[in-house]
Amino acid sequence: MQDNMIAERSKAGQAAQTLKVKPKWHMTVLHIVYYLILVLFLVFYMLPFWGALVSSFKSNAEAISTSPIALPQNFSMEGYSGAMDLLAVSLLNSLVVTIFGAAGSVFLGSICAYALGKWRFKLNNVFFIALIAATYLPFQAILIPLLKNITNYGLYDNIWGIVLAHSIFGMPMCTTMMRGYYSEVPDALIRQAMIDGNGMWQIYRKIVVPNTKLATITTFVFQCTSIWNEMLFALVLANQGEGAQAPLATIVLNSFVGSTGVEINQLMAGSMILALPMLIIYIFMGKYLISGQMSGAVTAS
Amino acid sequence: MASITIKDMCVSYNKGKTYVLDKLNLDIKDGEFCVFLGPSGCGKSTAMYSIAGLLEPFSGQIYFGDKLMTETEGGKKKTFVPPQERNIAMVFQEYALYPNMTVRENMGFSLKTKKVPKDEIDRLVNEQAAKLELTDLLDRRIAQLSGGQRQRVALGRALVRSPQVFLLDEPLGNLDAKLRDQVRYELKKIQKELNVTTIYVTHDQTEAMTMADHIVLLSGGHIMQEGTPNDLYDHPANEFVAGFLGTPQINIFPCSVKEENGAYILDAGTFRLKAPDHVKASLAPYTGKKVDLGIRPSDFEIAQEGVNSIPAKLDSIEPLGDAYLLYVRIGEKVVVFKYAGEKAPTETEMLLKPNMEKLHLFDPETQKRINA
Repeated sequence: MQDNMIAERSKAGQAAQTLKVKPKWHMTVLHIVYYLILVLFLVFYMLPFWGALVSSFKSNAEAISTSPIALPQNFSMEGYSGAMDLLAVSLLNSLVVTIFGAAGSVFLGSICAYALGKWRFKLNNVFFIALIAATYLPFQAILIPLLKNITNYGLYDNIWGIVLAHSIFGMPMCTTMMRGYYSEVPDALIRQAMIDGNGMWQIYRKIVVPNTKLATITTFVFQCTSIWNEMLFALVLANQGEGAQAPLATIVLNSFVGSTGVEINQLMAGSMILALPMLIIYIFMGKYLISGQMSGAVTAS
Repeated sequence: MASITIKDMCVSYNKGKTYVLDKLNLDIKDGEFCVFLGPSGCGKSTAMYSIAGLLEPFSGQIYFGDKLMTETEGGKKKTFVPPQERNIAMVFQEYALYPNMTVRENMGFSLKTKKVPKDEIDRLVNEQAAKLELTDLLDRRIAQLSGGQRQRVALGRALVRSPQVFLLDEPLGNLDAKLRDQVRYELKKIQKELNVTTIYVTHDQTEAMTMADHIVLLSGGHIMQEGTPNDLYDHPANEFVAGFLGTPQINIFPCSVKEENGAYILDAGTFRLKAPDHVKASLAPYTGKKVDLGIRPSDFEIAQEGVNSIPAKLDSIEPLGDAYLLYVRIGEKVVVFKYAGEKAPTETEMLLKPNMEKLHLFDPETQKRINA
């Protein structure tokens, strides 16, 4: 059906081309102004990124002495090699925390979303409202009790403690997102599966999850981004500095700005390394993410 | 295989404030093809969902054979067998095919759930697919099928599992007219072959008349009448039933009843008919009062002489191929008359003679049938 629609649209596009009318002069001027404004904002937005990118390929001396947006005169990878040395362990930690934290919260969220989206039970609205409220809960508000809890479980300064925190605190957001998708699974399908001899959880496993892969992917990527970029849990739930057991990349990167001065090229190279995985995910998954978010998932709340 | 018995079933969507189905009592025999017929909102699908166990009635009992499936009282359930344990097969109007599976997987899904061995599943699916001409489509995805093919897959999926009850919720609603006739015929044939108790929900009276052993006509949550198609057509219990069954609709004439020289006369103002002897006893209490006279379009013929006939003026003609529908005016009232002659009548003034053996008389207040 989608193919048909695309075909229809391209037909309409051709028709529009043949019917092209020369625009009036003031419309042309307006268009130019629009584009100027757009370009201006784009430059403003991209300039810091550009600065970070070019600086990461400079030697430290050059990075300090030249304009931050000038192209490197001597192309150098020393920033990257230095940054990799410092970040290697923490990047691996971050990767583990991101993947398991996102998987955990998507798993929990998916189960909650299924129960809330497809089944009626007492107080289900109360549960849902509580979950939405939890989505807007500022983490700062619960930091101290969370820290005490994690310490009690013996998970302080342990990446699995951070994974646990992310799994649980990411769950409300995942539930909200996935409930939107699950409520689009037709009720007739659920009824049919019941008639075919399946219980509530068999239906979840065999019908709902396989038919909402897009929801799972979208929510997973969404969670990955926020966990990968997150700093607060990473900072509070783990020991920092010498002897740290669970340093995460976001925190380690910031500790580059040390007491002995700043290696700007290393810092910028580190930033690039940190930004890269999410950039890659978005480039490859962008298509799914857009269609996923369009189908009412994120706006479900 | 099982008979179905429903006792005093009430269904409510607002905890007993109003009832969608009110005190429904019903017996469906083993192997019977039963059609729940009625206008939309009459509660026919609700009744079916209650039987399937997809819905909990507010009160009442449902038995499959002697086995109690549902028993609720005042909104509290006492016994409730969940739908997955009732061994029923159901076809929904929306087909509800699983988009993540191929045709083969869809058809075999319920068997796989029941842990039937794989060879056996393959055998049953292939057998059913051959019957429904789905063999070439078995490895396709649902998205690649046309509407008619999806319909057949949905039927096939229900048929592979030899259920004790077969429930069909307007399964032909999304098919075009030609395919609908074909599937209707096949469905009836298959049902007779398998001899499975079947409940079929529809609002289409033609489907009901052609397929049913037993029609249950519902309106406003009550059974208006149940019985064989001919029972309902020939002896409608009230004006609603008379109007719902039969196309074109039955013609209703409000008449007053008069007694003249020991005979009863039905006076519609524009015409007078002498009531036949077999309705005399039923008409006696209505002397001097009003009754509604119903005559089906097929129960008229063109008369030559004027005794017990109705003068009419031809308004328009609709040829049906094998017959003609004549729209005639009797006074100011437009009446439909199915004329079975070879050629359409040419004269504009005519005399219509109703078949006096097939009169339907109703009480205008209660709408109930008066004559036997």
